[in-house]
Amino acid sequence: MSTQSANPREPTSHVNSISKSKILVVGAGGIGCEILKNLCVSGFQDIEVIDLDTIDVSNLNRQFLFRKEHVGKSKAVVARESIISFNSNVNIKAYHDSIFNQEYGVNFFKRFDLVLNALDNRAARNHVNRMCLAADIPLIESGTAGYSGQVELIKKGMTQCYECQPKPQQKSYPGCTIRNTPSEPVHCIVWAKHLFNQLFGEEDPDQDVSPDTEDPEVKKDGAFSVTESGDVKRKSTRQWAQEVDYNPEQLFNKFFKDDINYLLSMENLWKTRKPPVPISWEKALTCESRISNDEESSKSLDMQVLSISKYTQIFASTVNILKKELAGKKFLMWDKDDTPAMDFVTACANIRAFIFSISQKSKFEIKSIAGNIIPAIATANALIAGAAVLYALRVLQNDYEKCPTIYLRQKSIYSKVLLATDKSLQKPNPNCYVCSAKPVVNVFVNVNKMLVKEFETEVLKNTLNMVAPDAILDGKGVVVISSEEGETEINNKKTLCEVGIVDGSILKVDDFLQNYELIINVNQYEAKEKDDPPFKFIANPAELKAKQIDGVKNGVTAAKNDLPNQEMHTDNDDVVICTTDNDDFGASSSKKRKLNPVEDDDDDLIILDEQLE
Amino acid sequence: MSEKQLSTDEAEVYDRQIRLWGIEAQEKLRAANVLLIGVRSLGSEIAKNILLSGINSLTILDDGVVSQDDVTRNFLLHEKVALGSKIAEQVLPRAQALNPLVKIVVDTGSVAAKSGDYFKEFTIVVATKLKFELILKIDGFCREHNVKFIYGEVAGFFGYSVSDFQDHEYFEDRIQLATGAKRGHEGDKKTKRIKGKLTYPPLNKVLVLPNTKQDIGSIKKMSRPNKLFVCMLMLLEFRKRFERDPDLENKSDEIEELRDIATEIIKLYQFTKVNVDNLLDLVFGEVSPVCAILGGIMSQEVIKAASHKEVTINNIFLFDPVTYSGKELTVGA
Repeated sequence: MSTQSANPREPTSHVNSISKSKILVVGAGGIGCEILKNLCVSGFQDIEVIDLDTIDVSNLNRQFLFRKEHVGKSKAVVARESIISFNSNVNIKAYHDSIFNQEYGVNFFKRFDLVLNALDNRAARNHVNRMCLAADIPLIESGTAGYSGQVELIKKGMTQCYECQPKPQQKSYPGCTIRNTPSEPVHCIVWAKHLFNQLFGEEDPDQDVSPDTEDPEVKKDGAFSVTESGDVKRKSTRQWAQEVDYNPEQLFNKFFKDDINYLLSMENLWKTRKPPVPISWEKALTCESRISNDEESSKSLDMQVLSISKYTQIFASTVNILKKELAGKKFLMWDKDDTPAMDFVTACANIRAFIFSISQKSKFEIKSIAGNIIPAIATANALIAGAAVLYALRVLQNDYEKCPTIYLRQKSIYSKVLLATDKSLQKPNPNCYVCSAKPVVNVFVNVNKMLVKEFETEVLKNTLNMVAPDAILDGKGVVVISSEEGETEINNKKTLCEVGIVDGSILKVDDFLQNYELIINVNQYEAKEKDDPPFKFIANPAELKAKQIDGVKNGVTAAKNDLPNQEMHTDNDDVVICTTDNDDFGASSSKKRKLNPVEDDDDDLIILDEQLE
Repeated sequence: MSEKQLSTDEAEVYDRQIRLWGIEAQEKLRAANVLLIGVRSLGSEIAKNILLSGINSLTILDDGVVSQDDVTRNFLLHEKVALGSKIAEQVLPRAQALNPLVKIVVDTGSVAAKSGDYFKEFTIVVATKLKFELILKIDGFCREHNVKFIYGEVAGFFGYSVSDFQDHEYFEDRIQLATGAKRGHEGDKKTKRIKGKLTYPPLNKVLVLPNTKQDIGSIKKMSRPNKLFVCMLMLLEFRKRFERDPDLENKSDEIEELRDIATEIIKLYQFTKVNVDNLLDLVFGEVSPVCAILGGIMSQEVIKAASHKEVTINNIFLFDPVTYSGKELTVGA
């Protein structure tokens, strides 16, 4: 019955295009499960689905193709099995893999009539966007965040691509705020995550947790003279922790007593602020205080703010557990769903908050912030996936003009519109550095300081979203960065200037996998203010002129932070939706330096995932 | 089940939604008993979404039997289900697998035979594909027992829902900046609880058809005639008249019937400048992705009504089969 499976009650004009179409669904999370179900009951018979992720308990409230016994298994594989148990005539192929892998090149994408994105992170969305542009296959991009969501068609030459408009930047916090003068709970949470990485994670010099003597405020009037810390090269926190064998009492006294005393010695900082109050291990163990306005009695433990003595005990016990976990490994990865790691961050953030008289938060709340969790619900995912498949039907009929972006909004007393649509397709941005005919971008970077390797990782990969770039210095024809292993290794530790990249240089960069060529105009730039980013880029020439006038400030700055900055994703369900679950999809190219490996939203937001839903 | 504390299991499974609507709403939800009337395409979508949300119990009432069409289109069934068996019983295993924490009761009785008392144990009744008289009758029963009621259906690419939540109290937690605080400073945000109340008219004042002796007074005042509203009434009148839905096999004749009914309704309401011609072709069959959309909207209304969290739609939702936009329309108030 396979050839006649099109349903009698489905609109028949589509039958042919439905049953013969080959569809790729990227992501099998919240939106992905719903899309697969809709495709299947609408009569689609040739579907492929790819997802790197495995099933977590917290997925079960919406990713309805999965059940408790599936926890830990591949989303793509289980989703396929569930669909087939409903209708064995559907030909569905599952890949438990990252869409960034080289096997999924342009030729892979060209096999499909249509690609549906159900992702939860921006990096993967950017990548699929480029692959679909390169293969000239229509892409339906979708995402939800809480009650909101969005479905948009991306069709080369007809619509905006996913990267035509700059997306909102992740929120960042100056390093000195995190290290010296926290004033909000989030500052303490960022600090606690950095402390985790300093002690157990991959070391990152940008995540220093000790007092920052370079803080411009400190030096004002010269009241504070840098002695021990600043200029003297100290041993790393990790090295010191190992020497004391992760003794919880010694660690505690350093981070919550000695370092705080040191901060107090920077008197300038406390002229207009309430000074922190250091707390020793002994005092902490008997301290029953907490800073919270909430009624606690009826709540579960995770919802409560506990006493300092309790957090001190948690600190000690999690340090011991994490120390054991670390044994034999290079480092641990922080994960919000790993109980000791989450408990450690909760305890440290709350002890630090207490010291700085900042309101403390429950583990439940800290998990949201530290784990960058975007709430996700079944109903919004179902609605968005329904709209995505309605658009799929139109796209397969070549009715592109009838697919302007659809927005799902929360009902409010001010608005009667729950599903809104744009009036027409959004036209491509002629200056887009991805989809325009000859993509060009201006990069502002300190050619005397930035290393070639740093340029490759931070600028080309993490900011410009390339996967395997080759860069040729125009005019000279010299390959400065190669995707072939070993070919340009010799350049890695040289500065840009040393390999001939200077102000005014033109780089031709080619990403073979993405079939993407970009011209980069290199401009010399030096960060002046402490919080200036280490590099920036501007795609629009008009914008470039304006920026040059104001000294290249506030341009489309690089998403990557500047060293002392910590970045966090902020939830924003307006325009750009982001990912759904914040469970990251695929090879997130994000850097650990960020508080969260990038994301936007999953199934669940950074303009649209559902998590990789 | 009372509104007691959630277990650790529940907190884990419902984590992502508790982060959206809060623990209090989740506790109310898990005390809710929902009656679902009709478990076909749209009904299954609703069953899925509200089971996942973690209510206390779901009663599935449907006396119908499984057809070939159901087997290919209803994801709570599968190929091996016997044609002609009771659909409410057949959806049970998959429905239960969606959420083992929810009690599911199957009732293969006839909805028309239920007395008023049947409805009183529920927090909310959600129904699809009923005859017009039955919609009004159930709404009457629900009103007697302070049970909330939502009805909806999908016809082709078109879909609508209509709610009667009677006197419905709700709350919202709005994030506000503390006075004097600068934007973007997380620590200075305060949540403020806002309470509100909506009063819904009974459905016999909202869904008014020709030749029923219904009071049309409140509806005639509709400021802007809405063709999707007319389309909704047209479909209700069609089923009332022919005891079936428009037949795809006989499309051109059916379109003429629909056009006549629409004309009659437009005349009854004395609307001017309303033309439903471009919609008539789009109301045949039941398009699955539209069921997903309507199912999402109606389930979210059930969740909001049962948890009292967030503003509900008052009182009609209309999905546009041409533009795919969806709006609230307030009628009969």
